Amino acid sequence: MTPQTARRANLAGGAITILTVVCAVIWAFPLYWGIVSSLKPEDEVVRPYIELWPDTLTFEHYVHALTATQIGRWYLNSIVTAVGTTVLTILTSIFCGYALSQLRFPLRRPLYWLILASFMVPTQVLIINHFVLVANMGLLNTWAGIILPQLIHPVIIIIYKQFFDQVPKEFREAAVMDNASEWRILFKVFVPMNWGVTTALSIVVFIWSWNAFLWPFLAATKTEWMTITVGITQVNDAFGIYYARELSLAVLAGLPVALAYLLFQRQVTRAITLSAGIKG
Amino acid sequence: MADIVLDHVSKSFGKVRVIDDLSLTVQSGEFIVFLGPSGSGKSTLLRMIAGLETIDRGRLLIGGRECQTVAPGQRNVAMVFQNYALYPHMTVRENMVFGLRNIGMASDEIRRRVEEAARILEMDQLLDRRPSQLSGGQRQRVAIGRAIVKEPAAFLFDEPLSNLDAALRVRTRVELAELHHRIGTTMIYVTHDQTEAMTMADRIVVLNDCRIEQVGTPMEVYTAPASRFVAGFIGSPAMNFLPVEVINSDGQALATLDDGSTIGLPPDIAGRGRLDLGVRPENVGIVGEGGMTTGKVKVVEHLGDRTIVYVVLGDGTPVTAQTGGHSQVRAGEVVGLTFDVEGARLFGTDGLAQDQAAAI
Repeated sequence: MTPQTARRANLAGGAITILTVVCAVIWAFPLYWGIVSSLKPEDEVVRPYIELWPDTLTFEHYVHALTATQIGRWYLNSIVTAVGTTVLTILTSIFCGYALSQLRFPLRRPLYWLILASFMVPTQVLIINHFVLVANMGLLNTWAGIILPQLIHPVIIIIYKQFFDQVPKEFREAAVMDNASEWRILFKVFVPMNWGVTTALSIVVFIWSWNAFLWPFLAATKTEWMTITVGITQVNDAFGIYYARELSLAVLAGLPVALAYLLFQRQVTRAITLSAGIKG
Repeated sequence: MADIVLDHVSKSFGKVRVIDDLSLTVQSGEFIVFLGPSGSGKSTLLRMIAGLETIDRGRLLIGGRECQTVAPGQRNVAMVFQNYALYPHMTVRENMVFGLRNIGMASDEIRRRVEEAARILEMDQLLDRRPSQLSGGQRQRVAIGRAIVKEPAAFLFDEPLSNLDAALRVRTRVELAELHHRIGTTMIYVTHDQTEAMTMADRIVVLNDCRIEQVGTPMEVYTAPASRFVAGFIGSPAMNFLPVEVINSDGQALATLDDGSTIGLPPDIAGRGRLDLGVRPENVGIVGEGGMTTGKVKVVEHLGDRTIVYVVLGDGTPVTAQTGGHSQVRAGEVVGLTFDVEGARLFGTDGLAQDQAAAI
């Protein structure tokens, strides 16, 4: 590399770094603004100019959110439904992915194409069907009612199928020679051999489920059955919207997910890459 | 220990027949090697015995029990795979006990078997390691250990040395032969490497094109190959095939090469007419003068203990000769060739040796 091309490469690298930093700031600013606003008194929030730091730092909105709302119950609902959705989605996807990848049965290929085709159907299109179905089953305002329609994640099935496809066939054959049943082959060989993808997918499904709004909003009509994302909408009263109060609730709602991101950054990135690869 | 009988078995993949009406008996305690080129059906045959491939027609008997429809895990055979197939998330010990736990064996018995296998294979210190922490040779040993703990009626090896480097392959070959001596269990071993076959086998089954070409001891298949294929496949460098016209002249069998020179053959030789004379390179001599024919040296390979000389006869027939390590022959030289017909074979146009008695 000549000094000239090296200098040009350095310049390009520097420009890309600056661009990345600018994009990161633009992306992070609303988050920062939301957190800072939640720490301002209400009258400061509605001032018609930008203040990057509160004149008066207050936690009154957080105190209000934690004491005057049903946030505890909403957290519980979110935890139960997100964990339930995650466990059941992962489990059913493992079964389905394994069957599609390793078992030979009639109509296996059409079934696979059907699952692939279901990508083309947005969940929102099915939402009325889901609502009618869940209502007829008497599951509105229940955890099961919130969980069940959220279990449909064809992408997870496809990812599992692809990972199970990549397991060299000798491992399955060795297990067959070892007299292992299909259950033992699945849970003692295939799942542990793909533990990384299971962890990554569990985290991402948990985050999807935690952040879900539309379906929990429809399925939980009573305040005590709402998840945290839906509960946020309940804090306005007859005097209008309290921005700082709503933002404090939003921060509290996003906290577990933010923590999950921070703790499992690598796995989350991997899971997003995996699912993006499939979707792309 | 058990004998294994394949009785007129056939196997097809779709419309492609891969094993065609094959019969074979493997004696109890025997070390038998399936040898053949890629696509000859040797691995498929092994997998049919293991139960990993179904048998379309015919019977499979293991220890007298009909097994062609029995599940692989219940045939009482253990298999060592080419890539070992050690479960990467389990320790060596867990790998070994996985199969035993699947059949609900008592913990005491499992412990006894693992300790016994570890003792036999000298791998006590490896038991708590994971496969990723082992060298290729150690993994191979663990794969064998996993088979040993089952105390099976027969071991099935599917090219287990092909992932090892040359030096380790030689060492493991010896260890495997020793292991067979020690435990005396029936072993079926698949390879395309004739050296492995020659050094380890009690008997070699040479397969080609989905059928058995010859079954015999290593020396039988080397010295009395039943077909041109076996003659060419066994031995390195490969046997020379010289197109000859065999005639009887005053009670003397004579083979006339295409360059017009003649080689005297013993009078009791079977076969007359247009044939191929098979001569091993070590039975081709290089002389300065007075040879049976002459040829031009193309390439000389000095291997230390021996020298391989590639010669082309006047009519273009290639001949490979193997001489001593200190041969002075040089490329481009014209040399005389002699043929020791004692170890030679005649093959007909159908590729078959004229007959066992025709060994000349």
